[in-house]
Amino acid sequence: MDAALIEARGLDKTFAAVPILRGVNLAVAPGCAAMIIGRNGAGKSTLVRLLAGLSTPTAGEALLFGLPSRTLESSTRRRLAIVTHQSFLYPNLTARENLEFYADLYGIGDAHAEIAQWIDRVGLASAANARVRTFSRGMEQRLTLARALLTHPDVLLMDEPFAALDADGVALVASLLRDAIARHCAILLTAHQPLAIDGLTFDQYEIVRGRLLAPSAEPLSASASVRQVG
Amino acid sequence: MTGFVAVLRKDLRLEARGGESTIALIALSLLILVVMVFALDPAGGVRDAPTAAAALWIALIFAGMTGATRVILAERDNGCLRALVLSPLDRGALYAAKLIAAFIFMVIAEVAAVVLMVLFFNLDFDSRLLRLAPIIALGALGFSALSTLLAAISGRIRAGDLLLPLLAVPMFVPALIAGVKASGAALAGAPVSAFAQWLKILIAFDVIFLGTGYLLFDHVIAED
Repeated sequence: MDAALIEARGLDKTFAAVPILRGVNLAVAPGCAAMIIGRNGAGKSTLVRLLAGLSTPTAGEALLFGLPSRTLESSTRRRLAIVTHQSFLYPNLTARENLEFYADLYGIGDAHAEIAQWIDRVGLASAANARVRTFSRGMEQRLTLARALLTHPDVLLMDEPFAALDADGVALVASLLRDAIARHCAILLTAHQPLAIDGLTFDQYEIVRGRLLAPSAEPLSASASVRQVG
Repeated sequence: MTGFVAVLRKDLRLEARGGESTIALIALSLLILVVMVFALDPAGGVRDAPTAAAALWIALIFAGMTGATRVILAERDNGCLRALVLSPLDRGALYAAKLIAAFIFMVIAEVAAVVLMVLFFNLDFDSRLLRLAPIIALGALGFSALSTLLAAISGRIRAGDLLLPLLAVPMFVPALIAGVKASGAALAGAPVSAFAQWLKILIAFDVIFLGTGYLLFDHVIAED
């Protein structure tokens, strides 16, 4: 098995003496996906922030590509993408301008054709030149996915990526995840409830009050492309 | 370098689209100069270079704080600052792009403020303004460097906007004194040698503010 691209070792996080995460251990190898399921306040978003290097662990290690995520070099950060509750999009720029900005930021040369493809792929071709501030939450989420995947990341961290999406949007995320897995991207995503996606096998963890329960490696299957389980 | 250019171009594009910063800065400069003129001589007959220089620098300070705050706050929308922190962009390049954007907005406001100062204080559009230009540019650069760093700090705190003047103005006082003295001499028609020592002080503080900002910005934007 390849070395894990996403790894947590004994990860603890405490805010003002309140433990948010307690001794979290997990590993996600290239081409694999892990799903963290938990209620609001269980610690899912904190775990994603720690793994992304946005926050410092109180104890333990958060590693990406085998390196502490907090101190990744610029060339390594280029291989990471994240989707959170915040879209990271500029409201006064159009959808196309937002993607052009991120393409420039990540040094993607001559990205016009690729940006057009991504806008089309996420179903925003008719809104490509509209400012993001005019978008619905679902449209913004679709553009967020394009923003994250435009850079062809090797590690993808997604905090509740299915939130605010309709059935077509959920199917879109499923399709994007399948493509990412096919090119050996390591994916960690969080959700409130278990989800089954055709063609994808997740290591499913449950997080309860900051503790990660043992994974269920059982492949989930579903007749629909995506459905809630349980 | 591409990341630096991307951030700067994006900031300028956003400003060109909304014009929020420059309009606010110019309006603020206008307000301050009008208040100063009427406070000092209601008849509007002032022809006093040191007073004009003082009014100009007050406008520069307040306009600079507004500009830097807006440059940083633009990144707080939708968590965009986090995206920049996670991107391959070097944090020093991010700081440089932000301070250059704040500097450009400040210079635009200052050009308008200088024109208003000449009109309100009955000065002349002559070569003395050319001598004033590098002094104002040095002041704007130093204050942009300082206020961009401090705006990044205060932007993380609730009601941080109120904190920015309390932090920025005292730290900028030595450079402010040098700037007012040099500007007053330049507007009075003194040769450059007469205010060279004040220029050196301005340059020294610019180096301090730029160096401090470059070294600390990474820590300032990092989360706990």
